[in-house]
Amino acid sequence: MADVSLSVEAGGILGLVGPNGSGKSTLLRVLSTAIEPDAGTFRIGGADGIEEKQAARAKMGLMLDRPTHYGDLSGWANAYLFARSYGMEEEKAERALDELFAYFNLAEYKNDRAKTYSYGMSKKLALIEAIAHGPQVLLLDEPSLGLDYASQLAYQRKLRQLAAEGAAVLLASNRVDEVEALCDRVVFLRGGKILRSGTPEELVSSLRGVKRIVATLRNPVGYAPVARVAGVERVAPQGRGLVVHCEDRPGIVAEVVAGIVAAGGDIADLAVRRPSLADVYLELTGEALKDED
Amino acid sequence: MKISPPDAYWKKDVALFFGKRFALAIKLLYPMALIVPVAASDIPAQYAAAVIGIVTVMAGTFGAGESLTADLNDGILLRLSLTPLSPRRMVFELLAVNAVLDFVQLLPALALVYVFNPAPLVWVLAATFAVFLTLVTANCIGVFIANFTSSPADVLLYATAMLAPLIYLSGFFRNQNPTGLLAALRDLIPFAYTNDALKAVFGLTTRTTPLEVFVYPTLIAALLVLGLCLTAPRLLSPRL
Repeated sequence: MADVSLSVEAGGILGLVGPNGSGKSTLLRVLSTAIEPDAGTFRIGGADGIEEKQAARAKMGLMLDRPTHYGDLSGWANAYLFARSYGMEEEKAERALDELFAYFNLAEYKNDRAKTYSYGMSKKLALIEAIAHGPQVLLLDEPSLGLDYASQLAYQRKLRQLAAEGAAVLLASNRVDEVEALCDRVVFLRGGKILRSGTPEELVSSLRGVKRIVATLRNPVGYAPVARVAGVERVAPQGRGLVVHCEDRPGIVAEVVAGIVAAGGDIADLAVRRPSLADVYLELTGEALKDED
Repeated sequence: MKISPPDAYWKKDVALFFGKRFALAIKLLYPMALIVPVAASDIPAQYAAAVIGIVTVMAGTFGAGESLTADLNDGILLRLSLTPLSPRRMVFELLAVNAVLDFVQLLPALALVYVFNPAPLVWVLAATFAVFLTLVTANCIGVFIANFTSSPADVLLYATAMLAPLIYLSGFFRNQNPTGLLAALRDLIPFAYTNDALKAVFGLTTRTTPLEVFVYPTLIAALLVLGLCLTAPRLLSPRL
């Protein structure tokens, strides 16, 4: 990573968005004090992240991309160990954990060994461990990955609540719907550098006048005929489909469809949508973002 | 004092140790199975002492090395090290609690050794203390090895490579009456004092005094613990 400069205010939620290898997790590792940067500085809640590691860690709540626990301890024992390691007093820790286990529907399983938890339950346990001590700063790496829909909503509500109570949140995610819904500001990363930053509204409005067509195909095709359609600005493969950015003019959808058919594409599904953060990234880089699940 | 749920790093190891009953039974029984037949037999004293010494060294080295390697690879130790807990304190607690738990495992077998081989109290105390310090040393070696290993198989390999010369120098089997450099090196290895104390328990005379058994391995083990605690930030750093 190089030339990265960013800040999150108390009560703010900053989204880090970028494809695999863009540097999101590395940046979070540095900020979590797990690895030291070769150069540069950072502060967590006022504490120097290089010189005052312990103080910085005490202010942080951290959720790594892969949840990990002591499998032979119960879910509760794991969370309790973390809460006490962050300096919470016994009663306070128990109260906070009771509340969070109930909130995330884990109360019934709190005495089960952590190794019996499903991936989603492990993620929720990791989230509890990250937030139980009421951190000033939250670093979350793909927090909703593996959560069911109801748990995703519960986690989003909790995150908003924590931010409203003054926590600064740094959220690395490729779920653009989640980032748009939660974040006040978004930073696009690519190749370890900041590509663009702004509020979701600012970024998406930069694509005003652009139409987004997503075609899901039954067979992969070359997309040169689509790119030749007048008014098409960008075409990018995404999974088995194509994402097409084009001018917002009458008749262009039919021409794009004709281009896909001409290329030999068998369209299984077609959607015309308003631009999203994913389209901004596509516009900036020519690469499509993909959810990491 | 509440052990479970654990509210401190060392209590986690205690909770895990006593939490798995079948594993606990095995842990308590295997030293008995190895040591008691030797203690009750009439094999030469130096070999009886050697067997107990080897079991002690292996129990300490592999226990700490393998569990630590697993925790490091799993990422849980890194995650815990990113709390405000001091890495040096974590490594110290890890060493201390594992040495004590290993000692708890060996104590019943050791008690039976003393029952089968009545010895002067001072040598019984010296041997018991030396066994504990050997466990501390062996745990230090296990934790040190975990700096470089990524699997239990690696631990086995590295531990064998490190322990073989130390066991040789300690005089468990060969090098029983060293001179010159070998003698000087032997004096730096805590295992050697355990060997001497156990030989005394089995009725052999040894040039090491009980006071030396109490003092020298304590100093050496303390230095090892200190050195290892200083490497804690490296040990608990992410494996990239």
